[in-house]
Amino acid sequence: MHEGSIAESIVDILKETKKSNNLSKITKVTLKIGIMSGVMVDALLFALDALREEEAIIKNTEFEIIESNVKAYCILCNKNFEFQKNEEIVLLCDECNMPLEIKEGKEMEIIDIEGE
Amino acid sequence: MKRVVIERKILERNDSSAQRIRALLKEKNIFSLNFMSSPGAGKTTTIEQTIKALKDKHKISFIDGDLETDRDAERIKALGIDTVQINTSGACHLDANMVLKALDKVSLDCDILIIENVGNLVCPATFDVGCDKNVVILSVPEGDDKVKKYPVMFNVADVILINKIDLADFMDFDKEKVKKEIKEISPKAKVFEISAKTGYGFDDWINFLSDMVKKR
Ligand SMILES: Nc1nc2c(ncn2[C@@H]2O[C@H](COP(=O)(O)OP(=O)(O)OP(=O)(O)O)[C@@H](O)[C@H]2O)c(=O)[nH]1
Ligand SMILES: [Mg+2]
Ligand SMILES: [Zn+2]
Repeated sequence: MHEGSIAESIVDILKETKKSNNLSKITKVTLKIGIMSGVMVDALLFALDALREEEAIIKNTEFEIIESNVKAYCILCNKNFEFQKNEEIVLLCDECNMPLEIKEGKEMEIIDIEGE
Repeated sequence: MKRVVIERKILERNDSSAQRIRALLKEKNIFSLNFMSSPGAGKTTTIEQTIKALKDKHKISFIDGDLETDRDAERIKALGIDTVQINTSGACHLDANMVLKALDKVSLDCDILIIENVGNLVCPATFDVGCDKNVVILSVPEGDDKVKKYPVMFNVADVILINKIDLADFMDFDKEKVKKEIKEISPKAKVFEISAKTGYGFDDWINFLSDMVKKR
């Protein structure tokens, strides 16, 4: 369960952001989590919930998670591929059989926050 | 209400520590390997055999990450290798900050640094620890269906060692299926079949590794 460490890293960044923007509270946070980042969204939400008690900054914060599909690209054929959650990922081009480059789907980001 | 666009990586602190590790190891001209696998797949045994094959030619240091005990570190220390133990006390993976601290203690008068990550086929894949190459071990008794079940781990692998190949005939382990699935999820990974028990396949793996160390 590494989602605990991820949740702590999120809280650290929120603390910095709250300070640098002179906010009194953070009401909403939007995260972007790639389906191939290795983070399970449910486990992350659970870990964030578990932190609410000890971290006042997220006591009443709403978390929205945008899950991003895997997007990959064949440089040779100039062809794009997309894989959704629960779809089998094949990182080989279906035309030339060369390795695809992953463009998206591995990221873990805080996109934006709302506060007062 | 105020909206603030942040667009920051959640693991930015880990990533910057990983970059510091890379810079430090590069400056010292040290080639580094991060071994990952599920518990018991054979990380320590493979590392022991790898060290035995290389230690006449290379100076090697070792960092071991484990939830509890220093058993693996002791096994490597017995080979005369400078060793540092990280007890993650509950954390299921090593992160770059832990490794950075361990680099203060381990001898950097070496040309190869080997890290054994916590036995876990999921969590360590998410945390860059600043090594040149990720070596992922899949052992035969785990079954031939694991690559697509744990795609994130196999995708971050630069080298995949299929270990305990001596048991393949007892286990209905379809090597060709595994290699096909590795091609699909980790097309650039280099794959070796080995047995850390019998030494099968070690010549090829050691030659490949020596070559990478030479080119560092
Ligand atoms: N038959 C066979 N057994 C092996 C082989 N490699 C390792 N083993 C055995 O597998 C068991 C686990 O090996 P370790 O090297 O301790 O595995 P590990 O991945 O370091 O385990 P953790 O650090 O606990 O995650 C030991 O009993 C080894 O002797 C092999 O190639 N063939
Ligand atoms: Mg071990
Ligand atoms: Zn193509």
